[in-house]
Order: sequence, then structure tokens, then C-alpha cells
Amino acid sequence: MTGPLYGLFSQSWRRMISVSNLNKSYSHPDMVLKDVSFKVKKGEFVYLSGPSGAGKTTLFRLLFADLKPDSGQIEVDGLDLMRAQPSRIARLRRRMGIVFQDYKLIPNYTVFDNVALALEIAGTPRRLIQKTVWQVLKVVGVERQLDRLPPQLSGGEQQRVAIARALVNDPQLILADEPTGNLDYEIANEIMNIFNYINSQGATVVMVTHNRALLQRFKRKVFYLDQGILQAYVWPD
Amino acid sequence: MSRTKDYLYPLFKLTGNNIRRHPVINLISISIITIAMLLLALYFLGYSNAARIVSVWRSDLQIAVYLVDGIDAERMSALKNYCRELDEVIRFDYVSKEQALENFKVTLGEDSSFLSGLPENPLPASLELFLDSEVADVDDVERLARQLQRQVGVDEVAYGSRWLRQLFSLLKAVKYFGFLFAAFLSAVTVFIVASTIRLSLYARSETIRVLHLVGATRSFIALPYLFEGVFQGVVASSLALGFAFAGFKHFKIWLQTQAPQWSIAPQLKFFTTLPLLLFLLLGTILGIAGFLLSSRWIQRG
Repeated sequence: MTGPLYGLFSQSWRRMISVSNLNKSYSHPDMVLKDVSFKVKKGEFVYLSGPSGAGKTTLFRLLFADLKPDSGQIEVDGLDLMRAQPSRIARLRRRMGIVFQDYKLIPNYTVFDNVALALEIAGTPRRLIQKTVWQVLKVVGVERQLDRLPPQLSGGEQQRVAIARALVNDPQLILADEPTGNLDYEIANEIMNIFNYINSQGATVVMVTHNRALLQRFKRKVFYLDQGILQAYVWPD
Repeated sequence: MSRTKDYLYPLFKLTGNNIRRHPVINLISISIITIAMLLLALYFLGYSNAARIVSVWRSDLQIAVYLVDGIDAERMSALKNYCRELDEVIRFDYVSKEQALENFKVTLGEDSSFLSGLPENPLPASLELFLDSEVADVDDVERLARQLQRQVGVDEVAYGSRWLRQLFSLLKAVKYFGFLFAAFLSAVTVFIVASTIRLSLYARSETIRVLHLVGATRSFIALPYLFEGVFQGVVASSLALGFAFAGFKHFKIWLQTQAPQWSIAPQLKFFTTLPLLLFLLLGTILGIAGFLLSSRWIQRG
């Protein structure tokens, strides 16, 4: 179907991520991702899971154009990542929140500066930055660490700051790579509660994890990758 | 206006962070650029002053025509008429033997007493010719001197322009050498700024990666480095001007004390406002050039 009503019938307006026939290899001949296809609706919370070396982080990085695929299509929030100009990709990244397993905080910036940076890049008026940063740090529970540097914080606190940075621009899509990977049970639960809260506010969440216990505790749709192949949708028991 | 402020504020903040967090790199860079800019400033200062003084000297062209002893009135009159008809000559003065001796006594001052013991006045009469600097140049002086030397009644012709011509030739050579020298120093400055920015990029590669990941555009990442380059250029050229001024003041006082009879010191002048601004602009341009040279490393991030 073509024409102006196509969008209504195709329901593409409900889709946040659309990946089709994605292939990716590095220098060695084995494919890391083989013909991967999946879709994520707006407002969904999905896991991307699988054993170590399955290609989860590669797929994660492809979703914000940190890597280029060998072939296939990736569309995120209506932007075709294969054809987008660097400036459009930068704009898309400002509309999404990305949480990394190794936090990726700037070590010589204070907690406040790390979080404020995302707002400054987005061109937020300076008068709003102070208040917004404080509010988001309060949501993740590290508002008292405002003036400290990341190396002075525990792993859990650093992860909260990284989540705060991802949330501060009020993104509609959150991508998180093993956000509880280095954390103990209690703190991992708290972090998961934060992601559940964000999702309940309408944000789409894609979380990479290989932690089966977590999948059992917080049941959501799972995309399971094994040896580069997206094998099945799995609903844990 | 407010939007511009909101856009520029984080860029200046990042620039400030870059400079504050890499003080040693910036200090070394500014020091080396200051030395290069100081050499440039001293060259321009030396050249502009030398050129002005030589130009003043060149406009003060004179020829002394010494006459044979006992020249008769008719020959003297012919010689004066000959001088009067020369286009290059504005005026000439006749200095008699007696007047020449008086002048010599004044020049010698207290040491002139020995002249009283001489059996006769050894100094010749002369015609002092003043040339028009608009018409005559150093080459004309030599030509005129040769013509005058051939006239009957002329014993000897003296002119001070031979050394002046050599000085002028030397100044010309300095001018062309100076262009090469200035180009070399400018290239060195650009290279230093670029290297500093590159060092800073290596040191901050992880920060740059984070900036990319949280959605910073290339210009947002690159502009703080442009500001850093400009900062280094402006600070270094200002320091260089400050040191050059201090050096110039000391040299002027030293010259005035050591060689007051030359009357050179009062003629020495520091840069006026326009050259000062041009020099600061040069520092800024060199800073920008250094940034542009390193910008491909920024693109690689």
C-alpha cells in the first residue's frame, strides 16, 4: 500500500526499532551476527540475551550506529541508520539514553558535570540544567554525590550516575548494556526498579543481559542470541 | 542571544577544562610559541626601526667638494655656477679655509689648542652640497661625486653615502631573509599548536568517545580545540609583545647611555597600535592554523 495513509495501516508509527536481515562480521571470516531481524514497539521493555560471545554487545552498538553492519537494515525512531548523516545520528543519540556496562563516565568530571554534559550537548538553557540534574540524580538516589568524581564512587553509584546521564534528556528510548553486570543482588534489584519505573513512564527499554536470574525475576520479552543467530522469542518460566 | 549563550557556554567550559586539566602541555606549548613570537617581534621591531633610521639618513644626502689651494675667483665662480645648475642640488654653502678651521675647533672642543701652534691653516676651502632626497638617491650621489671630481679646481670629493648604500643593501637582504625567517617561525608555531592539540586529543580520547556517544556533534567536540589554539596564540603573542617591550626599553636606555653621540636612541620606536593589533591577530591566526592542522585527528575522534 502506498499513499499518505500508509503509515496508519502499516503501524510503523508504533515501532521504535526495526532490524531486518542484519549481518555483521569483524576481520575474521566468522559472522558475529547472521541475518538478524526483530522489532521493538514503542513503550516496550525487552531483553537482548544470550551467552558470552553471542554478539549481544555488537547488536547493542549497531542500534546507536557505533558500528556499521555489513548488510541489512536498522531503523531507530524513524531514522534509517544505514543512510543517516553523522549530524542526524548525533541528534538521534541526544534523543536516546545509553547505559554502558563500563559506565563510560568522564573520570575528571564531577557527577554533576557528567550528567549536565548530556543536557549541554542537547542545548538545554543553562538556567534549567542545575535543577534538572539534581532532580534526576535524586530519582536514581545519588543526589548527595553531586560534587564527587566517578573514581570516588562505588560501582553501583557509578552505574546510577550513568543511568542519570541516560535519563536526563527525558529520552523515549533507553539502551542499556549489562547495567547490573558488576553489581550485587540488592543493588541490581534497585537498578532494575529504576528501569521499570522509566518504562512505566512510557520509555522504550532495550536491555542487554546474560543474567538468567534477572530474566526470571523481572519477566519481559526476550530476544535470545546464540552464535550470531537470533534464535527465538523466549518468555521465561 | 540567550540561545547563543547556551550554545557557547558548554564550549567555553570544555575549553577551560581542557586547559586546566592539561596545564603542563599548555604551559610548554605557550612557552615555545612565546619564544617563536618573541623572535618574530624582535625581528619586526629591529627591521622597522633600522629601515626608518636609514631612510632618515638617506634623505640627508650631502657632498663635500674640497677645493685646491689658491683657486682663482673666475674658476670659483664657474664651479658655483656648475653646482647651481645640477638638478639634484637644493643648495650649497661655501666654506672658506678660515671657516673650516673654526668649525674644526668647535668639533674638537677642549682638544683644539694644538691647532694654534700650526704654522699655517692646513684645511682646504670647500663647497658643501645638499641634495634633494626626492630626486637623488644613493647611486646619484656617487655619479655626481665622479662628475664633480673631474671639474677644474676640485681637489677631492667626499660623500658618506658609500657605507649608507652598503647598509641599505644589507637591510634589503635582511628584509628578504626576514620573510623566510618569519615564515619559518610561523610554521614552527603552527606545528607546536597542532602538536599540543594532538597530545591533548590523545590524553582525552576516552572523553571524546563519551561525547560522541552522548550525541555531541563534530563541531561541539572540535570547537573547544579551536578556542584552545586561539587561546595559546593570543596569550603567547601578548607575552611576546610584553617581553619585546621590556627588552626594547632596556636596549634604548643602554644605547642612550653608551652612544649618546649617535642620536639613534630617541629615534627608536616601539610598535604603534595597528602593528600591535596585527601582531595579536597573527597569533590568533597561527592558533587557528594549528587547530586546522590537527582537525583531522579530531574528526577521527
